[in-house]
Amino acid sequence: MDPQRLSELQLDALGEVGNIGAGHAATALSQLSGSAVKIGVPDIRLMPVTEVPGFFGGPENLVGAVYSRLLGDLSGGLLFIAPRLDLLALADVLRSRAPGTSKSLGAEEEGMLTHAASVLQAAYAAAIARFTELSILLAPAQFAFDMLGAILEVVTAEMGMQADSAILILTRFETEVVSVDAALLFLPDPDSLDVLLGRLGIV
Amino acid sequence: MTALDGIVGPWAGGDENAVIVGTGELAVGEHPQVIVTPALGSCIGIALWDACRRRGGLAHIMLPSPAESRVVGRPERFASVAIPQLANEVAEGSTIRRLVAKISGGSTMFGGDGGFASIGERNTLEVKRQLALLRIPLLAEDTGGGHARTMELHLDTGLVIVRSYRYGIKEL
Repeated sequence: MDPQRLSELQLDALGEVGNIGAGHAATALSQLSGSAVKIGVPDIRLMPVTEVPGFFGGPENLVGAVYSRLLGDLSGGLLFIAPRLDLLALADVLRSRAPGTSKSLGAEEEGMLTHAASVLQAAYAAAIARFTELSILLAPAQFAFDMLGAILEVVTAEMGMQADSAILILTRFETEVVSVDAALLFLPDPDSLDVLLGRLGIV
Repeated sequence: MTALDGIVGPWAGGDENAVIVGTGELAVGEHPQVIVTPALGSCIGIALWDACRRRGGLAHIMLPSPAESRVVGRPERFASVAIPQLANEVAEGSTIRRLVAKISGGSTMFGGDGGFASIGERNTLEVKRQLALLRIPLLAEDTGGGHARTMELHLDTGLVIVRSYRYGIKEL
């Protein structure tokens, strides 16, 4: 199955799964931070992996990334990416501090953000697992802050892919005072995408 | 080049001689061109240069050999395919005996997970093996570590410049 040829219906179904995952993630982040965190309706896009760096401002652009490998019945990866300022804002939200308090991404911020991103990834994976009745495991999340192109190529090299597609789930976290934009990339290997769509009943 | 149209930098934006090599691609050029490949992570950039003709090439490989992937795609993304091909294209019918090599990349971007942490290292080993098979001397390398690199090859002097956010500018 070529992910480029997903129909509107199939993309909608993946979007719906993303929506439900985002709902769970919002609840979890509210519990973690002790304040109400809302997540807006995610914007779902499908694009070739090679076009992702352009979408985020070029391969040399610096981003923070949290990567979890998907294991079990589906294989692939979930990659959370956000620019530095959005990561700092998210750290403030998690810490219930005034916006602008965090100035640098130290070990403490890295740990906290990895934790929050892996909650988001787990929520999304759980939504997929529930819809499809598949067993999905997430490998421990890893943090990196560097050039986007290099981060993406590690993820795609691991799956041995080149001209393949990524499902982009653009999400916005909102509290009363601040909003943070981040993206979750779902990179299924082509076989797994077949399995997933088959289970959703829309091959 | 569609994916790379968005790049703007002091090196690519301002220099009309810059040739940009994307992931899994290779390019050959002659002085005054400068060949650039952005954002090497676990991938490796291989620069081959012929001092007499001031001609050279740069390849950006992702994986050691086609055995690593079931997915059909560009064969130049494998070290075992790209390196012989690059050597032939740079030599262009002439001898490959004059070529010299410099490499960079092969880092581990996400630490700690044994499942894929070794891709950078395996790439480095295979690149060196391929160069040894062709008897192309490896003059310099900047490989390993945990950071991304951008590599450029200047064809007048064979100078390779490696830039990273962590260590700044390095000359090979």
